[in-house]
Amino acid sequence: MIPIESESKTKDGTPVIYVAKENLIPFMKEKKDEGFDMLLMVTGVDYVDHLEVVYHLLSTKDGKRLVVKTKTNEEVDSVTSIWPGANWHERETYDLVGVKFKNHPNLKRILLPEGWVGHPLRKNYPMDKKQYVNLGEDGEDKVSYDPKEGY
Amino acid sequence: MEKVVEVNFGPQHPSTHGVLRIKVKLDGEIIVDAQPVIGYLHRNAEKLSEMGLYPKALIYMDRLDYVAALNMELGYILSVEKLMDVETPERAQWIRMMMVELNRIASHLVWLGTHGLDMGMLTPFFYCWRERERVLRIFDEITGSRLLYNYFAIGGVYSDVTPKGLEMIKEFVNTFPDRLEEIQSIFQKSYIYAKRTKGVGKLSLEDAIGYGVTGPLLRASGLKWDLRKNQPYLFYDKVNFEVPVYSNGDVYSRFLVRIEEMRQSVRIVKQVLEKLPDGEFYNKKYAKPMLVRMKGNGESYVPTESPKGEFGVYVIGDGSTIPYRVRIRSPSFANLQAVSIMLKGYKIADLTATVSSIDPVFGEVDR
Repeated sequence: MIPIESESKTKDGTPVIYVAKENLIPFMKEKKDEGFDMLLMVTGVDYVDHLEVVYHLLSTKDGKRLVVKTKTNEEVDSVTSIWPGANWHERETYDLVGVKFKNHPNLKRILLPEGWVGHPLRKNYPMDKKQYVNLGEDGEDKVSYDPKEGY
Repeated sequence: MEKVVEVNFGPQHPSTHGVLRIKVKLDGEIIVDAQPVIGYLHRNAEKLSEMGLYPKALIYMDRLDYVAALNMELGYILSVEKLMDVETPERAQWIRMMMVELNRIASHLVWLGTHGLDMGMLTPFFYCWRERERVLRIFDEITGSRLLYNYFAIGGVYSDVTPKGLEMIKEFVNTFPDRLEEIQSIFQKSYIYAKRTKGVGKLSLEDAIGYGVTGPLLRASGLKWDLRKNQPYLFYDKVNFEVPVYSNGDVYSRFLVRIEEMRQSVRIVKQVLEKLPDGEFYNKKYAKPMLVRMKGNGESYVPTESPKGEFGVYVIGDGSTIPYRVRIRSPSFANLQAVSIMLKGYKIADLTATVSSIDPVFGEVDR
């Protein structure tokens, strides 16, 4: 048994389990063996003093659901080796929330262009600073704060 | 001599169903590798939802999957109602059920028409649009809009169904099955269609589950998993309907699943028309002036079966009138990720068939 930090329930009755980030990978492997074969989504939440990564699991055999959370400051292990579908979800969490996933096969921005400054879903993201995107000479996106430099 | 050529498919291409770009590596005409590139329609609906009151975020949900806007609204509304412990009158829930099923038909008709176009058939496109137009007129009559409705509200719906609207729905469900038969036969009597779709774009059940694929794609791969049956919300446990399952996992199976789902939706709408109870269509406690003062605390996620798969909105409240964090679980995002597996080893000509069989809508993929 992997030690857990605490246990609670969401408003809709799904169990929530907090796991220390060192124990995340063994805990997830254990849960997959228990029958949670589908990873529905990976999410990051910014609580200003720390970040939380949230995993929603589903067992297609008996319909059980489980929410796993882990607290981190920046980095957490990737679960792509357990569920291949985590790939895009982790990239999105990296892109928008700024959580770095260790051992991820291709940790690049997915929704925003490469070179974007900041992570929009952080609470301290400057909403009034616009960024402009243009296509550079080499075919890659260029991001700039100057409106003349892009669209 | 082997030479791999890299080809860009999209983002501006009539058969990408939006702004999808796929980087395809070709060996001759065999696809060696295909990497989808997304993000061209990104608006960050999640951040926008965190900037206003709870009822305000509803309009961003409409703009996710714009061909099935009511299904998107439902996912958000159910989560918020759970978060705030709001009770909804029975009539409102039956109305919601009827409306999302009609919207599912409209969404599948859009898919069927454009899928026909991708396969080089022009005729079914017009037939599908004709039928969809009738659904949109029903929505126009009941909600006041044709595409983006803003119809569901916390605690009910914004307006009651009108008698004329009910008449239009009755007429639609009585005539639609025959016309669907006609449209289906255009596809099924075509030798070319069968040749181009049978055994193409295969996705094994193992891969489908591993990649979080849900909805018609999962059912076409052989798993009987429909949230309306497995984890019923609204009153889906009080109506009779079947869940179509096929085990080939190819484009043709997905076509069959969606056609059958439309029939089952008609069945559900017919039963709702019989069972629709009298009463309030919204909870008077949560009338409009109250809505702006509603506070949410805790977190909730209510999964619903949208036309594309499992859709739900994970809402976290911090006790104020503004949501702290909103995460949209969109089915097309997860389904599209599996496209590289579906394409590998097939020919470049199968690419449009496979991509259109996923039914991606980019408002929902890019959010």
